[in-house]
Amino acid sequence: MSDSEHEHIYSDNDALLEDEETALEIAALESGSMQSEKVKEYINHKAALAALLEEISQKNLDWIQRCDIVSSAPIVVEKADNDLDRELSFYQQALEAAILGKQQVLKAGVPFERPNDYFAEMVKSDSHMARIRQKLLDQQKGIQNAEEAKKQRQLRKYGKKIQQEKIKEREDQKKAALEKISSIKKRLRSGDMGDADDFEIDIDSDGESGKKGKLGRDKAKGGRKLLPNKKRQNKNEKFGFGGKKRGMKNNTAESSADLSSFSAKRNKSSKFVAPSKRGKSQRPGKSKRQRAF
Amino acid sequence: MATLYKTAKSEFMDVDDLIEEKEKLTNIKHRVLMVASRGSTYRHRHLLNDLEALLPHSKKEAKIEAKKDMELLNELAEIHNCNNVFYFETRKHTDLYMWISRAPSGPSVKFQVQNLHTMDELKMTGNCLKGSRPILSFDANFDSEPHLQLLKEIFTQTFGVPKGARKSKPFFDHVFTFSVVDGRIWFRNFQIAEKDSTTGGDLAKDDKPTLIEIGPRFVLNPIRIFEGSFGGPTLYENPKFISPNVIRANILRQKAAKHAGRMNNATERENRSKENPLPVDPLKDVFE
Repeated sequence: MSDSEHEHIYSDNDALLEDEETALEIAALESGSMQSEKVKEYINHKAALAALLEEISQKNLDWIQRCDIVSSAPIVVEKADNDLDRELSFYQQALEAAILGKQQVLKAGVPFERPNDYFAEMVKSDSHMARIRQKLLDQQKGIQNAEEAKKQRQLRKYGKKIQQEKIKEREDQKKAALEKISSIKKRLRSGDMGDADDFEIDIDSDGESGKKGKLGRDKAKGGRKLLPNKKRQNKNEKFGFGGKKRGMKNNTAESSADLSSFSAKRNKSSKFVAPSKRGKSQRPGKSKRQRAF
Repeated sequence: MATLYKTAKSEFMDVDDLIEEKEKLTNIKHRVLMVASRGSTYRHRHLLNDLEALLPHSKKEAKIEAKKDMELLNELAEIHNCNNVFYFETRKHTDLYMWISRAPSGPSVKFQVQNLHTMDELKMTGNCLKGSRPILSFDANFDSEPHLQLLKEIFTQTFGVPKGARKSKPFFDHVFTFSVVDGRIWFRNFQIAEKDSTTGGDLAKDDKPTLIEIGPRFVLNPIRIFEGSFGGPTLYENPKFISPNVIRANILRQKAAKHAGRMNNATERENRSKENPLPVDPLKDVFE
């Protein structure tokens, strides 16, 4: 009783202090619970695991019953994401096991390889293996095709250059020939007799017998090229004589833009009617005409 | 047993000794029951089929729904006379968990199966006899920790084909490798090619054989080791294991955080503009 009273008095006296203490305690508890949330304890009963291993272990069995081989060196792969490194180390581990395993198997007096004439069902069926082979072939073919395409592309690039050069050469040749012809024409027109003789020979050597005769006649009429009369010349100009005729009467950008014949005044005048809308002059019907006579 | 007794009696041998000897030979009659849970996808099913093809001492059972009542699996194993169980548990049609258990008494291990590639989808050129025995290759890392040692023992007893198992063939033409990388167990399956790949003839004696991968590939991430079969006290818990659910949730949360951040910025901006209103222009009404 006295104890409780004492406590009561104590608490009365130092109410403030106790409040502070409880607050501290709560804080401590909270921080503790926070910590336990952060650092979860993971179970790892090593002794129990070892005991269990001892219990289930079959180490006293012959090796040939167990067929397990532990690699001489632990696998160390810096990054598990590195496929090449990882698979290589797996391969090496397996290779070591295969070599050691063969020795052990032969030591135990058990055949390792199957005899050559031993045929049995395989894990992967024939159709599965055929599919795999087909896939490999397709892959190879794909690679070959890609290489060929690459080669072709390069050839085409090179070929284009050659073609362009050829075209340029041909154009140059054509240009040179045209120049030569035009110069010949000029000289012919100039009517220089002395020179004409030379050209006659030149053109003769080109080998156009028909032209030769006409030229000969022209020369006989005073060495000048015979021109048609003025009217014919104008008509030739207008309707075309020589040169291409196709599309001559078609409108061109210039002709349609040409407004020289258009008169705004006439267009606005009340008299003006578009030719397409101009009515025909009314000819009376037959009966009317007959009645008139 | 009767014949045992007869032979023992006839030769005046100690019966118990004889039985013990016989048991020692037959003790390794491991049989593995393979069960998938409901809701497993085709890839999980294909992995199961691959393992069944590779392990002749296995027995496949129909899919079961045993999410709550795992004891059922022990009974199933007893019915099929199996002492090991592979239980492939699929969650949400995406995550595959693999239980390996020694059936009646334990221990059992729960793994998450990651980076799964079945034999069918891997276009690998290796092939081996159906039912030939594998050599089990373990990484030296397995001896570093007690839980890994236990896992190694469990793997040898389940993946190792016992000598003279019913459908097995007495030859060795492939290697199962188990390696510890990144705290997880990586499984690979290689064919041992003893023939010269170009000529097809036998290899010279000193030459190393070449290995060709057969498949499947998978990675086992241990989650827990239990003392009993499909239950019992936990002996080991992987501190590195993060549940795929948590990972997915975190990804979603990150995405959500982006949106929340944008909304937060917008409200902050609004508040700021309310707190700092623009000063009133004294010349605003001059021309009106």
